[in-house]
Amino acid sequence: MLEVKNLVRTFGSDGSKVSAVNDISFKVEDNAFVSIIGKSGSGKSTLLSLLGALDKPTSGSIVVDGTDIAQLKDHSLIKYRCNKIGFVFQSYNLIPNLTALENVMLPMEFAKSSRFNRKKRATELLKEVGITEDKLPRKPGKLSGGEQQRVAIARALANSPKLILADEPTGNLDSENGKMIFDLLHKLSKTENTTIIVVTHDLTIAGKTDRSFKLSDGKLIK
Amino acid sequence: MNFFTRGIRNTFRNGIRTFSIIFILGLSIGLCIIMLIARDAVNKKIVEAKSSVGNSITVRPAGINGFEGGGSLLTTSQLAPISSIPHVTGVTEILTDRLSSSNTNLVSSITAGSFGRRQANISNQSFGGGSQGRFGGSFDPSTFTPPVTITGVNKLNDLDTVLGATSATLTSGKLIDANSSTYTALVGSDLATKNNLKVGSTFNAYSQTFTVVGIFNSPNNQFVNSGLIAPITTVQNLSTQTDQVSNAIVGVDSIDNLDSTTNAISQKLGSAADVVNSQTQLTNAISPLKSVSSLSLICSIGAAIASSFIILLIMVMIVRERRREIGVYKAIGASNITVMAQFASEAVTFTLLASLVGLIIGVLGSNPITTLLVSNSNSTAPAGGGFGRRVFGGFGANNLRQVHAAVGWNILIYGLLVSVLIALVGSLLSSFMIAKIRPAEVMRAE
Repeated sequence: MLEVKNLVRTFGSDGSKVSAVNDISFKVEDNAFVSIIGKSGSGKSTLLSLLGALDKPTSGSIVVDGTDIAQLKDHSLIKYRCNKIGFVFQSYNLIPNLTALENVMLPMEFAKSSRFNRKKRATELLKEVGITEDKLPRKPGKLSGGEQQRVAIARALANSPKLILADEPTGNLDSENGKMIFDLLHKLSKTENTTIIVVTHDLTIAGKTDRSFKLSDGKLIK
Repeated sequence: MNFFTRGIRNTFRNGIRTFSIIFILGLSIGLCIIMLIARDAVNKKIVEAKSSVGNSITVRPAGINGFEGGGSLLTTSQLAPISSIPHVTGVTEILTDRLSSSNTNLVSSITAGSFGRRQANISNQSFGGGSQGRFGGSFDPSTFTPPVTITGVNKLNDLDTVLGATSATLTSGKLIDANSSTYTALVGSDLATKNNLKVGSTFNAYSQTFTVVGIFNSPNNQFVNSGLIAPITTVQNLSTQTDQVSNAIVGVDSIDNLDSTTNAISQKLGSAADVVNSQTQLTNAISPLKSVSSLSLICSIGAAIASSFIILLIMVMIVRERRREIGVYKAIGASNITVMAQFASEAVTFTLLASLVGLIIGVLGSNPITTLLVSNSNSTAPAGGGFGRRVFGGFGANNLRQVHAAVGWNILIYGLLVSVLIALVGSLLSSFMIAKIRPAEVMRAE
């Protein structure tokens, strides 16, 4: 269960304060597939950063499995990001000089998993997201956009997180690949027992998720 | 794979850049190593020069040097208190005398030559010349034969100290008992050859029969090889100079105590003696080398700082370039320490590879650059001969300039430590920058 209460994030000094996220509250059940839509500058990415503990809220709380991550110290936030969160970015953000397999093994290394388990789990995940074995030793530059995003999704799933946060995961893909990635995320929310929150502009995609939130000027309007 | 191997692998991410960084950094580290090697070589030469001088002080009767000058000789009783001066390890008393044809049957192995004849004539004239002259009224410089020098000593642990020679060795027989008053002698190799002497032979001096117990030789030193060494008591008694000493060599425990001991001896003996040590001459001789040593140290420190600055700028550039990547690492669970360690590993790899290049440059360049530095230094070292040869044992300016640079383990270890230090210093700013990067900023840049 993810519960957000009165979440506020402001930037700037007293004279020119901007509230990117302004008093947002919502709840998301476990294993739900949720989308957040809104125009550019509506606060989608800021909300995602706060949910992923990449940023700290100005006020309010974010409770994940009974823990308010807004109150966690820095070293606990690192553990939270490592074990409870998986990120999928619009531009994939794979490490360019690591192979597909190594990219997926990376979060497990930070979680102090053994090398054997890392390799086994990464291979399984890459297979699950549709990366064939011959592409495991390839570096991101040798993979297509869709394949890179699949690797990124496998990496996000590496430590079996409670929550996967995807920021415009289909934004850099053509419609066919975008649909495949969306379907994959949808499937994984069920098979991997994880909650997936997707930020998107695509209303068609948003319409297919379990729930959809709409943001405007930092406020939740739907 | 862990942060360490990722750091190493990142070093080779861009071939051209990796080559350029290693080449530039290698040149800088190479200069640092060259200067360290040069300093080491020069310092070894300084130590060698110091050890060649020996820790000794020469005490001569005031106004007398060898057979020149005038005044009264010192006496054994005058010199006795020197032994109790702190840092004095021993006193070798020496009395030298000349044996002319009237008091020995030995013939000098040295030919008078123009110099000898001129000196003899001056000496004769100083006595008034003619019948008043030193050599009597019938003195003819053209037939002058140089006298044989006999050296009386009370200790004979080291032939070089007594003879003021270099590498003098006993070529046959044994040493005399310097504390005795026997009529025994060591004969210089040239004098022995000239007079057909060998161990067990006898010769006459002061109307006494001396037995040759040993023959010595000092390479390339005709003057020394034409002399005699006998117990000092024997020489004192036979030359009617009882208890007298023409000079003394005082041993000191450390070269660092030479000056203080020289002052103490001067105070003990007052105006009766001229007390000199080799410290001043040594200081003058090695001062250019010390300058080279200091210059090398400054250059090596400068090169090390430059190397640190190079790697620092490179790492700052790399961190700026990989801001998003660092953000990703943090977003997927890496701690600041892990990311910093990865970049430090990259910096260390760059530096170690550059050190390898620097070492090759250092090995190839150290000798010519050291030679250039030393030869360009304005050496004031004595050119050998005279007092310079006596004090430095042939350690002339040319010898001091012959510095051979070699790469030793100590240099390799210093170089490695300096390299790691350079890498760590170079990583500091980039580490600070890494710590400041927030993953949320990377999200915003999406």
